Amino acid sequence: MTNLPLWIIPLFPLLGTILLGTIALISSGSKKGPSEGFVGALSVLFPAISFLCVVLLAFGMPEEGIRQTLCNWIDIPMLKVDIGFLFDGLSRVMLLFVTGIGSLIALYSIGYMHGDRGFTRFFAYINLFLFSMIVLVLSDSLLLTFLGWEGVGLCSYLLIGFWNHDLNNCKAANKAFIVNRVGDIGFLLGMLCLATLGGSAILNYDALNKFIEMLIAGGHVELATPIIAVAGLLFFVGCTGKSAQIPLLTWLPDAMAGPTPVSALIHAATMVTSGVYLLARLSRMFSVIPEVLVVVLIVGMLTAFWAAVAGLFQNDIKKVLAYSTISQLGYMFMAAGAFAFDASIFHVFTHAFFKAALFLGAGAVIHALAGEQDMRRMGGLIKKTPVTACVMIFAFLAIIGFPGFAGFWSKDLILERLYTNAPFGEFFYFAGLLTAVITAVYMGRLIIMTFFGEYRGSKEKEAHIHEAPASMLIPMVILAFGAVFAGYLWADSMGIKFFEQTLAPVVSDAQNYALGRISVAHVNPMTFACFGTAAALLGMIIAYVIYGTKRLPRLHKKWGSAPEGFKADWTFFFDYIHEIFIVMTKAFAFIADMIVDKILQGIQWTVGAIVEIVGDGVSSFQARKVRVQLTLSLVGVVALIAVVLMTGGLI
Amino acid sequence: MLLHLLVLAPFAAAILMMATSKEDPKSSSRLAFLFGFAFVAMSIALIAAGNQATEAIEWFQIPGAKGSVYYYLYSHGLGAWMVFLSTGLSLVALITGRNTFETNYRNFAIAIFALMGAMNGTFLAADAVLFFFFFEAMVFPAAVLIAGFGGADRKKAAMTFAIYTLVGSAPMMVALWYLVSMADNSLVLSLAVALQNLDPSMQMTLLLCFLLAFLVKTPVFPFHGWQAITYAEAPAPLSAILTGAMSKAGVFGFIAWILPIFPLSMKVVDGMLWLGLLTAIYGALMALRATDGKKLLAFSSMSHLGLAVAGVFSLSESMLPAVLVLLVAHGLSAGAQFYLMGIAERFAGTRNIEQLGGLAARNPVFGSLFGFVAVLSLAVPGTAGFVGEFTVLMSLWDMGPLPALVAGLCLILSAAYMLRFVQKVIFGKPAREYVDGKRMTALEGSSISIMGVMLLVFGMHPAFITNALQLFDESAVQEMNKVTHPAAVQESQTVEASADTTGEAEVDENIAAVAQPMTEDDLRQLDSNLKANGFSDEERASLIAQLKAMSESEVADAHEEAAESNEANVKEASENE
Repeated sequence: MTNLPLWIIPLFPLLGTILLGTIALISSGSKKGPSEGFVGALSVLFPAISFLCVVLLAFGMPEEGIRQTLCNWIDIPMLKVDIGFLFDGLSRVMLLFVTGIGSLIALYSIGYMHGDRGFTRFFAYINLFLFSMIVLVLSDSLLLTFLGWEGVGLCSYLLIGFWNHDLNNCKAANKAFIVNRVGDIGFLLGMLCLATLGGSAILNYDALNKFIEMLIAGGHVELATPIIAVAGLLFFVGCTGKSAQIPLLTWLPDAMAGPTPVSALIHAATMVTSGVYLLARLSRMFSVIPEVLVVVLIVGMLTAFWAAVAGLFQNDIKKVLAYSTISQLGYMFMAAGAFAFDASIFHVFTHAFFKAALFLGAGAVIHALAGEQDMRRMGGLIKKTPVTACVMIFAFLAIIGFPGFAGFWSKDLILERLYTNAPFGEFFYFAGLLTAVITAVYMGRLIIMTFFGEYRGSKEKEAHIHEAPASMLIPMVILAFGAVFAGYLWADSMGIKFFEQTLAPVVSDAQNYALGRISVAHVNPMTFACFGTAAALLGMIIAYVIYGTKRLPRLHKKWGSAPEGFKADWTFFFDYIHEIFIVMTKAFAFIADMIVDKILQGIQWTVGAIVEIVGDGVSSFQARKVRVQLTLSLVGVVALIAVVLMTGGLI
Repeated sequence: MLLHLLVLAPFAAAILMMATSKEDPKSSSRLAFLFGFAFVAMSIALIAAGNQATEAIEWFQIPGAKGSVYYYLYSHGLGAWMVFLSTGLSLVALITGRNTFETNYRNFAIAIFALMGAMNGTFLAADAVLFFFFFEAMVFPAAVLIAGFGGADRKKAAMTFAIYTLVGSAPMMVALWYLVSMADNSLVLSLAVALQNLDPSMQMTLLLCFLLAFLVKTPVFPFHGWQAITYAEAPAPLSAILTGAMSKAGVFGFIAWILPIFPLSMKVVDGMLWLGLLTAIYGALMALRATDGKKLLAFSSMSHLGLAVAGVFSLSESMLPAVLVLLVAHGLSAGAQFYLMGIAERFAGTRNIEQLGGLAARNPVFGSLFGFVAVLSLAVPGTAGFVGEFTVLMSLWDMGPLPALVAGLCLILSAAYMLRFVQKVIFGKPAREYVDGKRMTALEGSSISIMGVMLLVFGMHPAFITNALQLFDESAVQEMNKVTHPAAVQESQTVEASADTTGEAEVDENIAAVAQPMTEDDLRQLDSNLKANGFSDEERASLIAQLKAMSESEVADAHEEAAESNEANVKEASENE
């Protein structure tokens, strides 16, 4: 069974999209939608089959990966690109959790979206998203990756604005798409930049790696680095857009306007990590431009820290998780910046489990409270929804890096690599550790405000609080298992290095090359483990002291579910910078519309008016009598004939 | 035969339509659909049949010219695809017009067929005078349609449109006459030869006259004064044809007439490139502020066509396929959007986007289609728009990073205005109370979605379009030689030789470059880049050698091909002699 063709993986979600889209379109006119059971079964079936194919392929995969070219895509003189797929260690890991978690969240959504008018449309979008995401990670060339890259952005737009009768959702969706577009242009120009270096063939990952190898072997790396560095920076701009890093991070908190399963799948587990995936995929290229990786490192550190601080102030449960996602993505970029591409992908992997579990848990809480998202109106829910609470607490322990849980292994690994590999490693290690403490504080705040203490909401709602249905609980429990055990695939201090080995064929060359040039410090890993544990414990204690015992959350009527002390749409400073650009664009548009266009119109109509006036004047010369007219015409004809004869005749 | 049918039969169809009843749109629409389908089928056959030409028939003689004017049609990939756009969009226009103009449908169809014939003539004419004839003839049916079926301000719009475009092409007429009086006949080759013998300032004047006509027709900033009001006031089906097919005549003119005839100096090329980019940015900015839905689409079209013009004047080796894909994609997507906007106007009674809204809830099928087509026009990868814009961007990158960056900015702006448009029209709640107008019919919906599906298909397999491209290949040039007057052939023997080295050299070079794989050129590109970055000659040479070694096989292939094409050239040259 291992000789399955690779295109079969994206095929099923695509079929699902077409089928569900057709059903949605046909039934959209009728009062009653199609049977939810039938649609739900279909929408889980297609991703699940896809997952099954991935599993089958994953077991039979040879060491060097599977490469298949499906057909030609674009073939013009400067650009020859094939539709080809590359299934190797990296795409195997990504595909396993993309399709796996995708199927689980589709299952969860059946319960969550129950009774919604756009039930079928929602699942069509989810399937389209999975298709795009699979293409993104499975493609063997940058251009096809870009197809998935914009495809997931499009699905993110469609799903954020899913409840499109509310214009605020639409605005959030537009913002997400446009900010992502800015990043995508970076990706696009990066591709063009690479193509100038080695033709369009270099857009293929294998060819690119070979090209870099040749450069290294020939000792010409320094000659090509200026262009490669520019390309690298442009690709990183693309990554900051998709993965919500500074300065393009503002769209992700707003993106929480979408349904919660979407936040879990797209804005936490899969799509936003595609920037990290791209860095790992291009690791060979980035290994020759360490300067750019320093930029990645610094941006990652700033984002991780800044988003963690922002997370402390949020009152909307989903916004806390959104900022936490940004912060964790910052960790991943820090790891990539420190040449630890495998560690960054490992964190992507573990993060997918615990963050999806947290989001689905939050979704279950919101479901139970009939749409309430403000944590100040929650509290004491552990008694009413014990399963959800357990899932979220396990995921919480994972994200703060509590020993033994998934996040512990991956985050510790990143911090360790930061200390040993990065320039000024001590500084970045300390920054990472500090961020870990803050992470534990804000996540502790979330758990305490939601599940402990007394219930603070209205009495009527309290009666209706209920545990989620089984279709929602099963995925949550499975993800919680992942949050606990996923880390044991690469438990460094226990000597398990399975994950490192599966990624080795893809990233080890790059890492060894980069690390070969710097001296790697050697420190006992147990020291890092101890410090990491201490950070997690310290953060939990701080959270308990501040939020668990003393400070009861205050409710402001005026502020709604806004962050503490800020406006509702405040996304921490970067919106203001974006606003400058938006205002500038609007000013230019204003100038174009009101000044340039008016002047042009003015000229146009002035000329027209002059012609008209002259014409009116000339018309007074017009002969009124038929006889005079005839004479004049005859004279004209004679004159014409004369001209014709003089210029050489008709023949 | 196919060529004659595509150019002449639409006029015959227009005349036949007069036989149908004016009062009964049912019967006249049936006949119109039948003709429409036939023309679409013919245009597809034309694309499939590849390059072909009719016999050159002497038409008349212009006073003062040496040779006569021919009725001579010639189809190449570019023209054939433009004809496809013209027939396809006309068919959909006939379909949507059926539900919009109940009473006077027959006259609408007559004008549409006349317009289609003129457009086909423009895209297929091989003779410059014939081209100009059809180029001008397009204006009249369109103006009549605007004046007869347009919105509230239709009289003014029709006048503006007709006068602006006619005045714009008047200098071209004079220039053409002057050029024809110099040349043996009015085919491209002899015009180019004739131009060689003129002094540079005269060449420049003639070039500007020609450029003006196409700049107005496209339109390019600052000659776009007629566009917004015309597209807004014209009936939506006509707006779709105007933007989808007729505006292409401008870009087509640049490619098929300006480039082969005129030797372009770097200054002109640069100027046109930046004018195109300026148009792209200007159109996008105007679209950001527009409140009239059709004006918004008009400016969006202007922005896309500006990009296409910039792409044409990047003069890179992949310019032709890139621009062609962009034009076809834009024709289909902009056309579909105009049809949908027309249906929205019919349904909600206004085209002010501030007054619309909530159509996704109120008319879900329409809303889905509207959103689908809008996404297709955003140049999302997988659609034809992406292939076009990416390859044009690639051509622009050849000219330097700055043009590509500006074009990139345009893509961001296009997302901004298009999403705003979608949000205002189909999302949210209706901005006002109104009685539902006529809904989108199944036929309309399916014809527009076929256009959408075509965009997807071309996006995943652009070879359908790019394979049809053999503009100005050797056989075409030979065909034209044969047509040349027997006496003129002998006379022009010597002239031809010089033309081969000068006037046509540029075009020939383009063709040769198209036939080669890109590695050679890229190396040169890299070399110049590295030079700009301040590398010594030795360093560059060694790096280039390295690169060459890597792509040894490819380069070897390239040499083989180059040798082959050289051989072919030599053979043909000897045959000519």
